[in-house]
Parts: sequence; structure tokens; C-alpha cells
Amino acid sequence: MSVLDMRDVRKVYRSGDAEVVALAHATLQVEQGEIVALLGPSGSGKTTLLSIAGGLLAATEGSVVVGGQDISGYNAKQLTQFRRENVGFVFQSVNLVPFLTAEENLLVVDELGGGKGGKAAKGRAGQLLDELGLGQRLRNLPAQLSGGERQRVAIGRALFNNPQLVLFDEPTSALDSKIGAQVMELIQTEMKARNTAAIIVTHDTRMTEYADRTVRIVDGRLEADRVSN
Amino acid sequence: MLPLRELRRRPSRFVVATVVLSFLATLLLFLGGLLDGLYIGSTGAIRAQRGDVIVFSNGSRDSFLRSRITGDVRASVEAAEGVDAVGGLGFVLLGAQVPGETELADVTVAGYELPPKGVPEPPADNEGVADSRLQDQGVSEGDTILVGPAESPITVVGFVDDTSFLQQGAVWVNLPTWRAVQNANRPDSAVADDVVQTLVVKGSGSGGRSLSDVIDDATADATSTLTVDDAVLALPGVEQQGQTFDQIIYSTFVVVLAVVGLFFSLLTIERIGLYGVLKAIGASTPRLFAGVVMQAVIVATISFVIGSLLAVAAAIALPAKVPLQLIPSRFIFTFAGLLLAAVLGSAISLRRVTRVDPASAIGNAS
Repeated sequence: MSVLDMRDVRKVYRSGDAEVVALAHATLQVEQGEIVALLGPSGSGKTTLLSIAGGLLAATEGSVVVGGQDISGYNAKQLTQFRRENVGFVFQSVNLVPFLTAEENLLVVDELGGGKGGKAAKGRAGQLLDELGLGQRLRNLPAQLSGGERQRVAIGRALFNNPQLVLFDEPTSALDSKIGAQVMELIQTEMKARNTAAIIVTHDTRMTEYADRTVRIVDGRLEADRVSN
Repeated sequence: MLPLRELRRRPSRFVVATVVLSFLATLLLFLGGLLDGLYIGSTGAIRAQRGDVIVFSNGSRDSFLRSRITGDVRASVEAAEGVDAVGGLGFVLLGAQVPGETELADVTVAGYELPPKGVPEPPADNEGVADSRLQDQGVSEGDTILVGPAESPITVVGFVDDTSFLQQGAVWVNLPTWRAVQNANRPDSAVADDVVQTLVVKGSGSGGRSLSDVIDDATADATSTLTVDDAVLALPGVEQQGQTFDQIIYSTFVVVLAVVGLFFSLLTIERIGLYGVLKAIGASTPRLFAGVVMQAVIVATISFVIGSLLAVAAAIALPAKVPLQLIPSRFIFTFAGLLLAAVLGSAISLRRVTRVDPASAIGNAS
């Protein structure tokens, strides 16, 4: 069973009497442990697709099934819970909570789920950050970390709840190419180690080499898949 | 807890609001303390009365100093159904020479029969139990003070708290001493031997009618009878002072609400990006809004503590003649008001928090 199964999804924005089609009948499946690169120019609809897959936006038409849950008809409250429990996000600009340490940024996920940041949660946060090479940086605030380190903390936050699907929105755009490559390697390693599905939105073709498959999107339409080497 | 961590790690963000609210809390306590001081200083002698009603002569417009109850009227009151006890009461406001003091002390010579709260049975002639505020004016137990232009001597045989009358400490004397002082120092308003200014009456009314109605009927409306609470409000200026100060105090609470509302609105605008991310990773609107309210309540609480300390310091530093009295109920009222204003003020941010779109975390749709 696919972790993500989007079928015939449309997203239309209304601007006065005009309709702007951001996503046109998109169909996409992502399997467990599969990394899909979503490649497209600015305004092509890739972020819209990512937002719909992650339950941040509701589709105008079509069905979206994530981990066996059909989220197409979910209301805002259901989507909030769905995102909290099933999806990890890594955003373009790092977006860590600036007044929390690296460890606490991971524990936020536990807190939002009703946890108290207890021993087990702290143990998991420590273990994740250790795996991400940040074992010595648990107590550092985001401002005390480099760009690459901050992005690794964001990856840790996305993985904290063992999501079935992690969505990356241009995760290396704020990094130089060397650090960007390191981060992509890390993403690849972590996703494969956990058998977690991932979609990575990018407009940088160099990043597609870390994906199992590349899907291009232009003007809201998905084009033929290409299996990466 | 995110809101608490932000307060702890970024206290500088909340300094301005805390400072402004602290001064407003000080102002609220100061204004309230003045109101309480004026009220307590004006009304203590009446609030201390143990009767159920106070009987004024008709036409006195419920003024203690203008009222005159004759022996005949008193007899009618005593004979009324449901009346259990009657005591005469009279006040005269005068200056008093205190041994060893160059300034005159402001005193109210209060003649009584039914002892008010804390006051013993009427003392011997020319002896009095003084209100403790007269100690601030140099009066000590055993002193013989000379009252009024006639220098009527009264020896202070003890003290009692909270029995001032119109900002002048009472000296509680028996009725003959009060009459003697009144007649010697206010010959234009001298009273006969059976006359008092008002009557303090204990009783329960009769036949479903209130005690006030029973008494006024029994005297054929020669009297105007008020409950003790109404008699307090009938004192000159008490109600007006209360209304004026209350208006200022409530206006200040509106300013508190505006400060909290504005500050947390600005803070929420600053946090829109962060709220977008938190919503994207599963934070609900109620949780984020509860965080705003929690921070507002904590800032208001800290401000109240600082404001209370400043108000207490002001009360200590100010001269005793300033009628500032900080009483526990005023602190409770001010704290409750600040908390309410904090919650309502922060609620202004609710709409903004609600409107934050989790999709905004992922940038403009592209």
C-alpha cells in the first residue's frame, strides 16, 4: 500500500471571477521508504502539491490518502491532528522556535501531542540529535547553530513522531552547495534507515540524485516520472 | 511549556508591557487606597454602630450635625413595636490642644449610649476613649486634651480603632460630657438635656414592616430613619467621592485592557510566522491562543506584584495626613481586575491567531 496516494487532485484559487488552477488533476503515489523529488520552476504548483499531501491545504477535487487515511474530507481540526501524528515537515527557511534549544525544538512535537517532555521523549530527542550529529549541541539555541545544523535539527523535529511521510520544502535553498549536499545525504540516509517515505520539493536538479524518483511539475501538471540513478 | 519558556528566555520582550502595567497597578492601588482611606476616615464612627437603624430628625436632610431628637420623639421611638434598644448619639467637630503638641489635633467628640464596636460602656464624665488615629497627632493614654475654644477638658482613658468621623478621630464620651462640650463650644447650636442628634436603634420591625417604617410611623414622621449603611452613604461627600474615584479606577482598568490588547496584538503580529510553523506541525488554535492568554496573565501578575510593592512603599513614604489606606480587599479587587483586563486584552489577539494559515509555513504556493 502506498504511503501517499493522491488521485486526480485539483486545487483552484478564485481571484474575483477568475479561476487560477494551481494543481490540475495530479495523481501521485509514494511508497514506503521511497524518496521522491518534486522538481519544478517557481509558481509551478509544487508547494501546493506538498501542502495538500501534508494536510496543510484542502484539495478542491480528488482524493488524498496518507497512511491509509483519506484526508480529503477532513476539517481543520482533523487535519491539525493528522499533521501532528502522521507527517513530518522540513521547511525552506529553517523555522525553528528561536527561544528553544535544539532538544526542546524536538520536544515541541511531544508537547503538541499532549506529552510532558518526559524521560522517554527526552531520550528520543537526544538519540535523534545524536544520530544527526548534534549530540553535543542539545542545549544550544538556534542562533548558536550553523545553517546546516539548524536544518538538521529541523529534520530531527520532522522525524520525532516516527511519521510515515516527511515533506521537505526546498531544504537546501538557504545553504551553500557543500552543506546542502551534506544535508541531502543525511536526509537520504535517515529516510532509508527508517523506511520512511519522503517528498522533496526542489528546483535544483542536482538534488534529484538523492531521490529514488523525480517528478516534474509545470503549470500545476505532473509530468512523467523519471527514476533517478 | 512554550509560553513560559519564552517569558523566561526572552524577558526583554515583555519588559515594556510589564513596566507600563506595573505603574498602572500602582496607580490603581494608590487611587483605591485613597478612596478607602477617605471612606474609612469619614465613616468609621458610623460603621462601628451596632444598631440596625439610625434615626434622624425630619428636616435634617439626614445630617448628623443638623439633626436634633427631643425627649418626646425619643419616647415615641422607644415605645414603637419591634424596637429592642435605643441609644442617643451626638457629634461635635472641634480642634483640641494636646499636651506637648503645638498643632491642634482634629477631633470629633462623640457622645453615645450604646457602645459601638470596640468601644467600652460610656466612661465617666470628662473622660473619653479616643480613636487610634489621634495617636498620630500626639495623643497618649492619660492625656487631658482641651477641646474647642472653651478648652473643655477630656482625659483619654483608652484607644479604639477605625472610629473616625469626617476625617477626624473620635473621642467617645458619655452623653452629658458631649452636651457640655457642644454647648460650651457651639453655643449657637446648644442642646437641651434631653436632646441628642440621632438615635441608634436595635430592633426587628413589626407586622412585616421594616424597622425604619415602624419608627417613622410611631413618631408621625417627625423622624427620618435610615439603615446604618444608608446613614454611611448620607455622610457628606462619601457617595460622591466613591463615584468619582470609581470612575477614575474603572477608566484606568480600560487603559490596562488597551495596553494588554495592543502589546499582545503587536506580539502576535511578530509571531505570525512562528505560529504558521507551529500550526503546520500540529498546534491547534486554542493551544496557541491559550499561550497568549497565559503570558498576559503572567505579565499582569508580575506587574501586580511590582505595583503592590511600589504602592506599599508610597504608603510608607507619604505623611500620615494623606488618607491612603491599603487594605487586603483593595489588593484582591485590583488583582482580579488586572487579570480580567489581561484576559480580555489578550483576547483581542484571538482573531489574528485564528487566521494564521498553517500553509503559510511552507511559503507562497509555487
